[in-house]
Amino acid sequence: MQRRAFMKGCLALGASSVILPQVSILEASEPKSKTRIFFVTNSYNLKHENKNGLTKLWVPLPQETSYQKVSDFKFSSNATNAYVTDKNSYKARTLYAEWKNGGEKLLEVTYTITTNERNSDLSKATASTKYPKDVAHYLKPTAHIPTSGKVKELALKITENSKTPLEKAKAIYAWVTENMYRDNAVVGCGLGDAGKAIEQNIMGGKCTDISSVFVALSRSVGVPAREVFGIRLGSSRYSKACGSSDEKGLAKITGGEHCRVEFYLDGAGWVPCDPADVAKVILTEKMTLNDPLVKEVREYFFGNWEMNWMGYNTARDFVLAPTPAQKPLNMFGYPYAEVEDEVLDYYAPAAFAYSFISQEKL
Amino acid sequence: MKTWLILLLPLILFAKEEVVIKVAEMHCPLCTTAVKKALKSVEGVESSKVTLETKLAVVIAKDGVEDKTFLEAVKTTGYEGVVVSRKHLKE
Repeated sequence: MQRRAFMKGCLALGASSVILPQVSILEASEPKSKTRIFFVTNSYNLKHENKNGLTKLWVPLPQETSYQKVSDFKFSSNATNAYVTDKNSYKARTLYAEWKNGGEKLLEVTYTITTNERNSDLSKATASTKYPKDVAHYLKPTAHIPTSGKVKELALKITENSKTPLEKAKAIYAWVTENMYRDNAVVGCGLGDAGKAIEQNIMGGKCTDISSVFVALSRSVGVPAREVFGIRLGSSRYSKACGSSDEKGLAKITGGEHCRVEFYLDGAGWVPCDPADVAKVILTEKMTLNDPLVKEVREYFFGNWEMNWMGYNTARDFVLAPTPAQKPLNMFGYPYAEVEDEVLDYYAPAAFAYSFISQEKL
Repeated sequence: MKTWLILLLPLILFAKEEVVIKVAEMHCPLCTTAVKKALKSVEGVESSKVTLETKLAVVIAKDGVEDKTFLEAVKTTGYEGVVVSRKHLKE
């Protein structure tokens, strides 16, 4: 079969030309810098028994924010058609590719991402609950994030002594990190079905499961909150549980998808938060909430991200563009592909097939 | 009588049905592929199409496959199904 010519794409994703100065990091395992630069390569070679079926792939791309900037974005592919779009209700950046005929289905995406550590100044938070429209959107329920019934009952109980949104968020963070635990048996990042978790008292899960409970409880008591889906890029100063790389800064990040949380406070803006990684440190390091490392991580992950990680989007229970055969999509932290109306298993990179690498600039 | 039976035999042997099954607990796109494959593995099933939006599986199968056979197949994926309609298809 004749191979199609490779198409190449190279474009800026928003204001992506800013490259911050290189910062020397003495020990890759214990980075001290608050600015980090990673070169990311995503490779795809899609597999399915229906080799001639119409194949469609949606790849999540990193969002542009004050704490992460994308530059040198390029892709090459033998796809019939490929382009970048954010035409969906969450404006989730997406590289879409489709193959109309048989043969290999190849795609390689590369970019540089510069990250800056996030540290919130919670002293700026006010008690106001007058939120901008785009923020108030994150008070609404979704299929997996209910805000009524048992979810609301629990949220009201947890926050009964809390007056301000910050106090409510603190109480929910304390409750989630005390009551939820990481369950490594869960596939991928978990489904993040907060309604089921609370109704059936399923307190074990992975990052999306734990994050979604935090988000549902927060929204139930009027604190805007959202999951941020992304992937670990390199080593963490706290624990390998939160990210690792070799001595040269190379990290094989296939399977490193991770979901975090943001909640919104008037005056302080979106505040980062990661109850799931507290649970992961406890399990991985075989510790309890009382161990000094866990205490430090638990305190740090309420209001801070060390940014050895990048965020893709905050989309939940939404419809990708162009519209896939199956909808809505639960979350968009993994690549999503369909052959005709069949969905490739995004939790199985080798079968799918995809692989991701991150090289930190040391 | 025998002639009638001979004439009817192909209709009996090759008669098909469209069976629609509700799988209400499906909550992600991956569930649809699992349910589709499970139903397709049932003997007598010609094709299956599963849609997350409607949470319906539409199966084209040889006439006479019992409801419980489809539902047991659905159950192997971890979900409960309910047959909501059966329709004979004309050749």
